[in-house]
Amino acid sequence: MTALLETRNITQRFSGLTANSDVSISVGRGEIVGLIGPNGAGKSTLFNLIAGAFKPTEGQILFDGEDVTALPAAERCQRGIGRTFQVVKSFESMTVIENVIVGSLVRTTNMRDARRKAHEVLAFCGLDARADVLASDLVPSEKRRLEVARALATEPKLLLLDEVLTGLTPVESQKGVELVRRVRDTGITVLMVEHVMEIVMPLVDRAIVLDLGKVLIEGKPTDVVRDPKVISAYLGDRHAVGA
Amino acid sequence: MDKAFVQRRRRDLILAAFLAAIAAAVPFFVKDVYVQNIMVLTLMYAALSQSWNILSGYCGQISLGHALYFGLGAYTTAILFTKFGVLPWFGMLAGGLISAVIAMALGYPCFRLGGHYFVIATIVIAEITLLLFQNWDFAGAALGIDIPVRRDSWLTFQFTRSKLPYFYFALALACVAWFVTWWLEDSKWGYWWRAVKDNPLAAESLGVDVFNSKMGAAALSAFLVAIGGSFYAQFVSYIDPESVMGFQFSLLMALPAVLGGIGTLWGPMLGAVILIPLTELTRSYIGGSGRGVDLIVYGGLIIAISLARPQGLVSLFSRKPKPVVQPAREAVAS
Repeated sequence: MTALLETRNITQRFSGLTANSDVSISVGRGEIVGLIGPNGAGKSTLFNLIAGAFKPTEGQILFDGEDVTALPAAERCQRGIGRTFQVVKSFESMTVIENVIVGSLVRTTNMRDARRKAHEVLAFCGLDARADVLASDLVPSEKRRLEVARALATEPKLLLLDEVLTGLTPVESQKGVELVRRVRDTGITVLMVEHVMEIVMPLVDRAIVLDLGKVLIEGKPTDVVRDPKVISAYLGDRHAVGA
Repeated sequence: MDKAFVQRRRRDLILAAFLAAIAAAVPFFVKDVYVQNIMVLTLMYAALSQSWNILSGYCGQISLGHALYFGLGAYTTAILFTKFGVLPWFGMLAGGLISAVIAMALGYPCFRLGGHYFVIATIVIAEITLLLFQNWDFAGAALGIDIPVRRDSWLTFQFTRSKLPYFYFALALACVAWFVTWWLEDSKWGYWWRAVKDNPLAAESLGVDVFNSKMGAAALSAFLVAIGGSFYAQFVSYIDPESVMGFQFSLLMALPAVLGGIGTLWGPMLGAVILIPLTELTRSYIGGSGRGVDLIVYGGLIIAISLARPQGLVSLFSRKPKPVVQPAREAVAS
């Protein structure tokens, strides 16, 4: 079976700075894939290219067998790519349920259906009790979950999670991990950017490590964390000795 | 499911019908022509402000150039009537459509401008059009157009003996503008507009067509405002560029919505009911002496409301949001 998502030789330059260089990755259906790497590795850039925030300087992005490189973000969403933002972008003047309804309107224009779907998704994410609260009144961890709920309401095939587990308390991040697992169990493929290794590693099926804009290594999380190249990228060369 | 939401929607509709019925009955008790005149203007500005609110309140694209569409509506009707004998009803429709098309043509470049630059563009374009009309001989240039008065008739929408027909038309227009807003509020468009206003980037990631959302809001808003302009031309039966396209119209459309509550269903109505009579009364009772006392009072009131109620007066009526007690019982495992 073909991969759900494939990037081919993606290169992205920002006036002199090469953020991604010749990156080719693929994500299979039903996988949870972690995109990790130290700060400045180019994770967010790659992530934004896949979501369609901007177009790559070179290379191709294939989704579900189709070249989506030239498609704007809204059309990628219609084709089944849902995303969250690292810095949460709730619709602050709208209530929680209204935020989610915006997402569910991609699949239906019937307001009753859209609202029902939004409630389902909120219940799934454990936010239904807060449905009628203004998004601006949510605490940070709830805003993160709202981001996920909104993206899920668009019924994505691929869910892109940008550091949804970062900066949470241990209890909150454990709940986040459970949520991601449940999302995958509904048949949605997950690609997540994280840099908190100890949270991501037990969760993902496969990890792709980026460093200096290139794919450093990819494989099973247990293998990746032991790889000397990864350790040296995160901690510097000195620590890689004897690993 | 979601009974509260359905109830709130229904309550708004019933309240609107109730208020409209009361308004319709007022002329039976108030016979004073001066007061009736103020009522007509109040309803007209309520309709205009409600229409402005669609683009600027819900969709968040602040326009301070809506006088352009008001003027286009007035001029289209007046020109078609005086030069070609076209009845104002058709002129009204034509003016609305022309305005909607022009709004989209202007939106095409302008919606790429961010924030303040968009506002400036709307002001500038309206001012340029004003200058063009002042120099356009066919449209009467700076002298304007005198609409010849014929017999009182609904056909030509001219009434010299009574203001009541105008009153009921303005009331109907306000009701239509309100109802359109009410209806769109719980539709894909309504949600898209608010999403675009709050965060265009996030909206895009959720499949919202940001650009076309703005275009749709601009077209609808301009269409309704132009109908108001057509009405005004018939109401005053004499128009010139300054009196239908001047900057003050842009302000008088924006202010009621801003004071009443921008981006809310009732804000423009409430704002117009307070602001327009006040404008007229201060002008006739304490204005006219050439010292501008009326404007001082008027400006002072706006400042007072802005300071005391930055969310708009309509927030006085809304239920207090529940205090944030325990954020979703975070500790309870799901």
